[in-house]
Amino acid sequence: MFNLAILKDTVAVHPSDFGGPQEQAITAELNKKYANRILHDVGLCICVFDVTEAGEGKVRYGDGFLWYKVIFRMVIFRPFQSEVLLAKVMSSDENGIRLTLNFFDDIYIPLRYLPQPNAFDPNERAHFWLPPNPDADPDAKPPVLLDSPTAERMWIDKGEVVRVRVESDEFYDDEPGPIKMADGVQVVREVQARAPFTVLCSMEEQGLGPTSWWNAAQTAEEGDDGAMDEG
Amino acid sequence: MEVLNPRAALLSNYEVLSLLRDLESDHLARTKTAHRIKKEEEAAGLTPTVPAGGGRDPTVVEVSENLRTVSFEAIQYLSAEHQPTATQTPEAITHLVKSLQPYDLTKAEKLQIVNLAPQNHIELYVIVEELEDRLAERMEEVLSQVQASLVLGPTLVPDPRRIVAPTNRGADAGEDWEVEDYGGEEFDDKGEGAGVEGDLDMDDE
Repeated sequence: MFNLAILKDTVAVHPSDFGGPQEQAITAELNKKYANRILHDVGLCICVFDVTEAGEGKVRYGDGFLWYKVIFRMVIFRPFQSEVLLAKVMSSDENGIRLTLNFFDDIYIPLRYLPQPNAFDPNERAHFWLPPNPDADPDAKPPVLLDSPTAERMWIDKGEVVRVRVESDEFYDDEPGPIKMADGVQVVREVQARAPFTVLCSMEEQGLGPTSWWNAAQTAEEGDDGAMDEG
Repeated sequence: MEVLNPRAALLSNYEVLSLLRDLESDHLARTKTAHRIKKEEEAAGLTPTVPAGGGRDPTVVEVSENLRTVSFEAIQYLSAEHQPTATQTPEAITHLVKSLQPYDLTKAEKLQIVNLAPQNHIELYVIVEELEDRLAERMEEVLSQVQASLVLGPTLVPDPRRIVAPTNRGADAGEDWEVEDYGGEEFDDKGEGAGVEGDLDMDDE
């Protein structure tokens, strides 16, 4: 989930910070620059772990800042592939489920990674899974999911804690590009909807999904191993 | 900016949580000092001034808003009830990792066992690939090792350190704070978590 990245950068320390310990001033500057931001192909920066190397501070022509070349370690959030995470359901719609970790909420479960068979109930604004009925005739047509009795449905409700497996992550670097002018007036572009870092997760496996399902199903665990194993 | 190594090492949730909590208490301590100085100045009838030599006004604690947000939210996530992180100790984790040695688990699997502390078969099943073939009847041993590494049941643990919301401290934080309000909150925080804090702190020994 978390890892350390080694980064190299040049930071400027303001003269008003010359009085205190320089390491503290450098760390504060780095945190100001990186904390809670996405680094492309690296992940979400949480905070500076430590400063491993710092050169002599140099004063450049034009300002009174001390410029340090530093090598430092950053705590990064980037779950690795196939890692299991605990997250909360943030919202659901026709295309899937969005999860949140409080500090990071661009985690999505597309429809294909939900437990099968599933459907989205627009009245409840939630997805549900219909557990296979052992008594059903195997040749019978699959039931229409939205007609199923509500009591049989396994809901994935908003706010529920779910266990998910990370399938992939993607970085987008949408540059704003040059400013467009029309008749001498700046054209304001529509807001970029794409998040810079998204994680795709899956629930389609034994043991994944709302934790409450599995805590309740603990006792029956041994029996259904063969029936539902699809991994 | 240059990325020398995007993934130099993996961190467990516990390490991140204790780092963030250290930052948090460091910040609290500094705010407290700054506030004391301000109070003293007011008592002496001085108006807060920038110290001679042009240093930063000591009554203003400057911390990046982004850092406060992300660390507050991450602490909230990591110390949530459904996470085992708050019930772990550094010694117990070291011991757990050592005791997992004979089972031939990969590094990633061990890390996830530490992070998620699986309590039953199904939780272990999602972490360890081909669990039946690789562990077979030794699953129980692993589970009991995990169980032993958690000091207290999650329900028994009092909130180790009360988290003070980082928001609502805009630019005017310095002027707006009521002195008595501030003092109360500060000491309350210290007293409440003192016992557990000692347990969790790594650098104290």
